[in-house]
Amino acid sequence: MEWYARPVIPAATKFVGSPISAQKLAGYGVAAVAAVLVLYPVFFLLQASLDVGDPLARPPTAYGLDNFSGLFQFPQILLNTLTVSLAAAVMALVFGFVMAWILTRTNVPGRRMFEQLMVVPYYLTPLLGALAWSLLGSPESGFINQVWRALGGQSYLININTPYGIAWVMALFEGSVAFVMIAAVMKSMDPSLEEASQVMGASRLRTMLHITLPLVIPGVLGAAIFVFAEMLGSFAVALVLGLPNRYYVVTTAIYQLVQQYPPKIQVAAAMGVSLFAVMFVMLFLYRRIVMAGSYVTITGKAFRPRVVDVGFLRYSLLGVCVLYLFAAVLMPLTTLLYASVQKIAVAFPTAENLTLANFRMAMSMDAVRSALGNSLLLGFGTATIGVVLMGLLAWLIYRSRLPGSGLIEYIVMFPQSVPRLVFAFGMMWAWVVFPIPIYGTLWLLLIAYLTVFLPLGVRTIAGVMLQIDKSLEECAQMCGASWAFRMRTVTVPLLMPGLVAAWLLLFISSIRELGASILLMGPHSKVITPSIVESWFGTSSELTATLALIQTLVVAIAMVVLVAVTRRVAAQQVD
Amino acid sequence: MAELVNLKLTRRTLLKAGTAMTALPFLGIGAPSVLAQGLSKSPTKVLDFTTNADVAKAEQEGQLVFYCHENEAGTAGIMEGFNKDFPKIKTSYVRAQTGALYNKILSERSAGRFDVDAIQLSDLAPAVDFQKKGGYEFYVSPETSAYKADHLSSPAGSFFWTGVDPAGIAYNTDKVSSADAPKGWQDIVNPRWKGSISCKIVASGLQFVQWYTLRKIYGASFWREFAKLNPHAFDSRVQLFDRLAKGDDRITAIGEYPAYILFKGKGAKVAFVAPPDGLVATPLVVGAVNRAPHPEAAKLFVDWAMSKRGQAWYQSNPNLYYGSVRTDAPPMPTGVRLADLKLLYPADWDDYSANRDVFAKEWNGMLGL
Repeated sequence: MEWYARPVIPAATKFVGSPISAQKLAGYGVAAVAAVLVLYPVFFLLQASLDVGDPLARPPTAYGLDNFSGLFQFPQILLNTLTVSLAAAVMALVFGFVMAWILTRTNVPGRRMFEQLMVVPYYLTPLLGALAWSLLGSPESGFINQVWRALGGQSYLININTPYGIAWVMALFEGSVAFVMIAAVMKSMDPSLEEASQVMGASRLRTMLHITLPLVIPGVLGAAIFVFAEMLGSFAVALVLGLPNRYYVVTTAIYQLVQQYPPKIQVAAAMGVSLFAVMFVMLFLYRRIVMAGSYVTITGKAFRPRVVDVGFLRYSLLGVCVLYLFAAVLMPLTTLLYASVQKIAVAFPTAENLTLANFRMAMSMDAVRSALGNSLLLGFGTATIGVVLMGLLAWLIYRSRLPGSGLIEYIVMFPQSVPRLVFAFGMMWAWVVFPIPIYGTLWLLLIAYLTVFLPLGVRTIAGVMLQIDKSLEECAQMCGASWAFRMRTVTVPLLMPGLVAAWLLLFISSIRELGASILLMGPHSKVITPSIVESWFGTSSELTATLALIQTLVVAIAMVVLVAVTRRVAAQQVD
Repeated sequence: MAELVNLKLTRRTLLKAGTAMTALPFLGIGAPSVLAQGLSKSPTKVLDFTTNADVAKAEQEGQLVFYCHENEAGTAGIMEGFNKDFPKIKTSYVRAQTGALYNKILSERSAGRFDVDAIQLSDLAPAVDFQKKGGYEFYVSPETSAYKADHLSSPAGSFFWTGVDPAGIAYNTDKVSSADAPKGWQDIVNPRWKGSISCKIVASGLQFVQWYTLRKIYGASFWREFAKLNPHAFDSRVQLFDRLAKGDDRITAIGEYPAYILFKGKGAKVAFVAPPDGLVATPLVVGAVNRAPHPEAAKLFVDWAMSKRGQAWYQSNPNLYYGSVRTDAPPMPTGVRLADLKLLYPADWDDYSANRDVFAKEWNGMLGL
């Protein structure tokens, strides 16, 4: 999850080729596709935010800035958004920092296994986390509070429907990116500085506070801005946990405003564009930090991250790891399973309250019968097409010497700056008027996913691409290999591990996608995550828990199969 | 199997057709369809109801796309009932609250997309608006004679009341004693419910009816008092009763009778109160949509939904439990007939429709939006 600085290409080495070389053709072709995917919907989004005419008339009948000035009517929502995003970002960074330090710098038992398990909350989806924690921590019906009262406690122990409850769940399920980013910084740190501190007599805590922390500050700051921007665009958790307490953030307010009649689409669009502006500033700052070379710990000197022997403290740290994974993985899954076999989910069910009817009902619903299949199909499609498209874009931006590649980078990263729910409006209006009838079909969702996951895919592939020495490609070029031949025989084989990782990431991201899908799916193109949200709106929480469990199980099986297949293919390649 | 029935082409039918033609040009309604329907077809009997649709052609179309305000299970239930009777017609649906659904269909049609065959809304205001815009296919079902004029669009042929959703007050019997339980609508603004009462969001048609009718009875201050209780608002009746059953809310100000029956059946500790002023009620209106991709299937669905058979399905499906307004409707599964209930509807539907914006502004403001 990194933004990468484009390599500076000396003018003398810039590509000078024939005007219609395969490289140029492929480069500009793929750039044009990316530009259409991103800029076409953005135009409609901006148009809507400036539309002050009849909300149901398209194209707009009048333009103005009233929608933006009207945003000041919602100070509480803006304040809520900032409060929850900030709290969630801080929590995610604390979790990320502590877990990264434990798992990269200490000799905690089972650290390799825990490092692998740290990505599981990402696969579980924020929606599942919110549903589970809603069952656990609602003030009256939450299982934890029921047990608390059964033990003689008064009122409730926890209330998950508060801003900090929302932030807690967001941090657990949307903040795992902070761990990934901070762990990467810690792994690249030269341990000799910490060793010097300890040789001089500083305690472990003092070393951590005065040496380790300052060294990772630039990386943590970058992660902070990135995570804060992610939290600003968060939707599912705020929807499930905020709505019961009338606590709206910008994304949930946007959703409510466009669902009503007469719709307040223009105000919602203005809200979205404003949020985009804030997120853009955040990401711009982040990028400046990364590009300014603030990772002063990354040097050309060879070293291995040193693992600190923390003595008996390692068992306490093990407890922290177990506790984190218990809160983020084990407890949510167990809670959903427990709720799914009850008629009315309670902490102490009676025999007559137990049922398998939720599973029977779930299996008869569109959400499972067609939506899950559609999601898997879209996952395959998005991942497969995405890897090719985003691989070429990563090459275009970070490896080619084609003029204008810097501009393409900005265009590609644009969807990262807009909440998907907001971007989906632009896509809906853009593709509903598109002459080819793709609106309401899986094709529209495929296009939407390819658009919103451009930054994710390009960044993931670029991460691997930048680790490969350019001289290998240049060597092939010097030997007279054409661009296509070089790509096929040098670049792609070297990139293969990164491409496989990107494929899996795009696959799982497509299946868990909510913000864009909830507006764009049609009667024949239902997908699973929005169907679960619809179930939460319109059916019981027990049935919704069942659907979320089925989704998790199917995705887990798909992932196991895919990983096994890719490992076998990789092993065959090695043989 | 099909039995021919004489077509009654009356002067009234032709006048209606003529009236409908004047409503046209918005959203592409086609005048020829009015006449074509009136002149070319004789009703046929299929199963135990009559239809002007060409059943063979409907089955050849093979699909029905349905937009519906009902919750997921309810919408799936309606489609299941139709599909059981016509297994060759594959069904699919989109569900959302009435406001959202109406926005969606208007957006699609303004962009030239005509993907839906039939629509069901829980609010008469957008239905009348859609009729004015020429969005409905003008289709007078042979089953129309079983309905009073009040329960049909004016003129008949655009939509009909496929059922009525009545709501009173419901409370959790573990959290509220019967002595403290509300007895009438005035009791929902009692300060004792602060922070523990629920209602529906602004997109709900029934919520609009409740706001309108109780405002007429108790004045505008009634809802201002209600706002002071910080009510929790949700999308669907199931969410309201889900929270009520678990004690997250002690009382719901808009307890829909069908949801009460559903949750009572699950063993939830909830009770229903029918206020003496009457149950607020909203018609659930169904109509075939103009320029539908499967027009014969759409007509067949409308006939099925209007028929005694379709109404029995609507009335007895646990996820629906709509009260039927058919003149010969049997009692609901609880033994209660809709006609036995005192229902509160807006007295003036035009005035009701005109107040949509006022309601939206007030309700959004109350909920902090």
